Amino acid sequence: MLSLIVFMAAIIIFIGLFSQSIQTSVAYERHRTLGTEASDLLDNVLLNPGIPSNWSTSDSSPACLGLQDPEYMQYTLSPFSLMRLTSSTQTPVLWNGAYFNNNTGGSGSCVLTPLSKSVNYSTAYRLLGINGTYGFQLTLTPTLTISTTKVSSGSPLKLAVTVDGTGFPLANAAVTYNLLLVNQSASTYPSYTVISGTNRTDLAGRTSVTFPGVDGETQTYTFLIYAYLGGLKGMGYYVNVPSGSAKSVVPIVESYTNRTICLAHSDSVGAPPQNPQYSQLSYNATFVLLSEDYSLRPIQLTENATGNVTYNQPGQSDFASLAVPNNFGVLIVTYKNAAAGQYGIVLMPWGLSSLSYTATLGGNPEGQEWVATDIRQVTIGGIAYQAKIAVWSVQGVQGLTPL
Amino acid sequence: MMRTIEVLLVVIIISTAFVAASYFTVLPPPRQVSPINLRRLSLTTLQMLDSDYDLSIAAFQTDNSSIWGSLQIALSASLPANVVYNLTVYDISGQDGGVYTNVASMSNAESLYTTSDVSTYTVASSNVTFNVTPEKIGEGNGGTLYILNCSDASGWWITGYTAQSLAQDLYNLLSPYFVKTIMIQNTNQLYQILNGNSLQGESVQNAVVINTCGEAVPIPSTYATQYSSDYGQYPYLLGQKVRTYNWTWASIVGYPFYYVSNTVTLASGQNNWGIYGMSQVGQLGSRAFLQGLNAQSYNKNDNGAIIDQTHSSTGYQVTFTQAITDLRNYYGIYPSSSQTSSRALSISTLQSYNLQVGLYVFNPYTYNSVDYLAGAVYNHHATGSTNITGSLLALGLTRTPDVRVTCISLLSYFSPRLYHSEYTASGTSRLVVLQLGLAGGS
Repeated sequence: MLSLIVFMAAIIIFIGLFSQSIQTSVAYERHRTLGTEASDLLDNVLLNPGIPSNWSTSDSSPACLGLQDPEYMQYTLSPFSLMRLTSSTQTPVLWNGAYFNNNTGGSGSCVLTPLSKSVNYSTAYRLLGINGTYGFQLTLTPTLTISTTKVSSGSPLKLAVTVDGTGFPLANAAVTYNLLLVNQSASTYPSYTVISGTNRTDLAGRTSVTFPGVDGETQTYTFLIYAYLGGLKGMGYYVNVPSGSAKSVVPIVESYTNRTICLAHSDSVGAPPQNPQYSQLSYNATFVLLSEDYSLRPIQLTENATGNVTYNQPGQSDFASLAVPNNFGVLIVTYKNAAAGQYGIVLMPWGLSSLSYTATLGGNPEGQEWVATDIRQVTIGGIAYQAKIAVWSVQGVQGLTPL
Repeated sequence: MMRTIEVLLVVIIISTAFVAASYFTVLPPPRQVSPINLRRLSLTTLQMLDSDYDLSIAAFQTDNSSIWGSLQIALSASLPANVVYNLTVYDISGQDGGVYTNVASMSNAESLYTTSDVSTYTVASSNVTFNVTPEKIGEGNGGTLYILNCSDASGWWITGYTAQSLAQDLYNLLSPYFVKTIMIQNTNQLYQILNGNSLQGESVQNAVVINTCGEAVPIPSTYATQYSSDYGQYPYLLGQKVRTYNWTWASIVGYPFYYVSNTVTLASGQNNWGIYGMSQVGQLGSRAFLQGLNAQSYNKNDNGAIIDQTHSSTGYQVTFTQAITDLRNYYGIYPSSSQTSSRALSISTLQSYNLQVGLYVFNPYTYNSVDYLAGAVYNHHATGSTNITGSLLALGLTRTPDVRVTCISLLSYFSPRLYHSEYTASGTSRLVVLQLGLAGGS
C-alpha cells in the first residue's frame, strides 16, 4: 500500500514538473513566432506601396495597405500615405458637420484630414490579413529630435537649438535655419520675410542663433530648422504667436485627389462650436518646398491665396478653399485679426514628414501577455525616420504564464 | 518490501529522465525569444546613411577624419541606445572579386556580446561610371534598324499616341543595340529602301523594319497610284521585299497591313472610320504579305487565309512565355506580363506559307479547338531550305500599343549580349559591413 502511495505521489510530482517544462517550451515557441510575425509585418507594410499604388494621393480606399513611396525602392516611404492613417493617439475633430483625423504634431501647426478617407486600425489589420490573430501598433518617429527654445526676452531674439538622435546627440551637424517674420504692417493680408543662415552644432548637439532687431515677445514668426550629418537628416520648427491672438486660421484637408485645403476660422472647429464674438481673419497663404540646399522655394498658389474667413456671419464666407501642388512641402498661412490688431501664423505639412510629424496607427499594446517589437530605419521625404512595430497575439494564451 | 524497492527504482528512473530532459531542453535567454531583427536594422541603417551617398563618400575617404567622424556620429545618433555596432569597410581589390581588404573600421563597443547580426552593403566610387555596352545586332551582316516615322502617313490603333512619338520611344530603347538606326521620315524614303537604296550608307540587307503606324502601313505615292485599284498588292509587294532583303518586319499592334496610309495621295479617301489619308485593305493585307513572302502568286481572296480572333470583342488575356519573362530582367524592359489580345493569329493557317515560329512571345492558347498565337516572330524558310528568308513579328494585341513589348520581343529574338563594366575592378567598389549587437544583460 505504501509503495502504491509513494508511486502515485511520484507520478503526480513528475507530471507537474514535465508539464511545466512543456508549457514553457510552448510559450517560447509562441513568442518566437510572434517575433517573426512582427518582423514580417513591418516589412510587408514598409516594402510595398499598397494597391492601388497611388492610394495615398487619391481619395480612394486601398485594397492592400503599404506605405512605400511608389516612385522609390526599398525603405523609402510616401509622405502622403502617413497623412491617410488614422491617428491612434489623438481624437478626431468636428468641423462643418464631419469629423477630421488629427495628426497634429506640435503647437503652431496642424493637419486635419477627413476621417472618412483615413485608414483606421480595424481597416488596417483587415488589409494586412491579421484580422483576429494579431494586434499591432505601428509608429513612425523622426530619428532626429530637433527642439528649439527661446532663450531671450525682448530684442534681440535668441533661439537655442538642440539636435538629438535616438542614441546620441548629433554633434558637428550642419544646421540650416529659416526665420519667417510676419510683416506686422497695415497690410490687409500679411506677408512674411525670410531670414536664412547656417550654423553647426557643438559636441552636445546644441547651437544658438541670434536675430538682432527682432523682438521675440511681440513679433509673430516661425523658425524652420534642418539638421544634416553623414546621411542623417532631420527637421524641426518653432512657432511664436503673441498670446493675444486667440483666433486663428485652421487648415483642413478636404481632398487628396484635388489637393484642396480649406482654411477655416478656429471658432468653427471643434465640438460643440463655440459661441464667438465677431472676428474676421484676413489670411495670406503660401506653399514652400525644401530645395536641395535647404532653402525654401515658394510655389505660387493659383487661387484664393489671400482672403477672409469668419464664423457664422451672414453673407460672409466661413472658409476658403485652395489647391496645393502635388509635391510635398509646407503650407504657410499668415493671418491678421483686424479688429484686435493681432497677427498669427500657422503651418500645415503637405506630406507628414514636411514638419517631422510622428504617425501612430494601431491598438494599445498595454496589458498584453507578450508584445514583440521590431524596428527599421526609413526615409520619408528625405527625412530620416524610424519605423517601430509592436505586435501581440489576440487569440488568447490558455494556461500559459509569461516567461 | 520488494515492491517499495521497485517503486523507488521507478522513481529514480523517472527522476533521471526528467533531469536528462531538463539538461537537453535548454531554452534561450529571454532576449532571444523575440529579438529585434538586427540584420534588417543594420541593412536599413546603411541604406538610410547612403540615401544621399554620404556613406559611399565616407567609404572611399576613410582617411578623411572629418567625413569619417561625421559618419560615426550619424551612426551613433541613428541607432537605439542599447545597440552597439562595428562598421568595417573592405576594398574589393581582387581581379576576380574574391579578395577583400580591410580598409577601416569603427566601433563603439569592445565586443558585440552574444546577440549580434550583420548586413553588407556595396558602395560604388563616385569617380567611376558603370557602363553596359550592348552587342550590336547583325554586326558585319546588316545591323540596320529602320523605324517608320513617316510624317505623311497616319496611324490606326495607336490610339493616344502619334506614330512619331512611338518612333522616338523605339529609337531610345533599341538604337543602342543596332549598328545604325534610321528614322524613315517620309514615304519617299520608304520608297528608296524598298528599292534597295541606302539612305545613309547603311546596309539594307538583313535590316529590321518597325512599322509604328499600327494596323496601317505607310505607302509611297508611287505605289498608292500604281495600286489604286487594289491596295492589297502593296502588302504583297512588302512581302516580296522582306523576302528579298531578309528583313524582319515588326507590326506593333493589331492586325498587320489592315490599312495603307498616305496623307497626300490618299487625302480624299478615308478608311471607313472617318480617318482621311488612309484606305482599308482588310484581312487581305496580311495574307497578301505572306503570299509575297512565300513567293506565291498574288491571289485576291479575302476569305480567311489568316483568321483573326473574332471572339475577342473584349480581348483575351495572354501572358509572356518564360523565356521572355526571364529576358525582361536581362534587358531591363518591363512591360506587363499580362496583355490583352484581340488579333491573335491561328497557328494552322500560318503553316501554309512555310513559316516557322522563331520565337514565341506569348504562350499559345486554344479557343474553340483552334490554337492561337497572340505574338510571335515567324521565320520564312523556302521549301527545302533551312535558311531564313524574311521574318515577321506580329503582335496581335489590342490597342493601345506598348512599344516595350515590341522591344523585348526583338531583343529576345536576336539576343544581343550585354557587356557590363567590371564591378569588381580594383578601386571601384567597396563593401561596407555593419554588425549590430544588443548591449546590456546576457
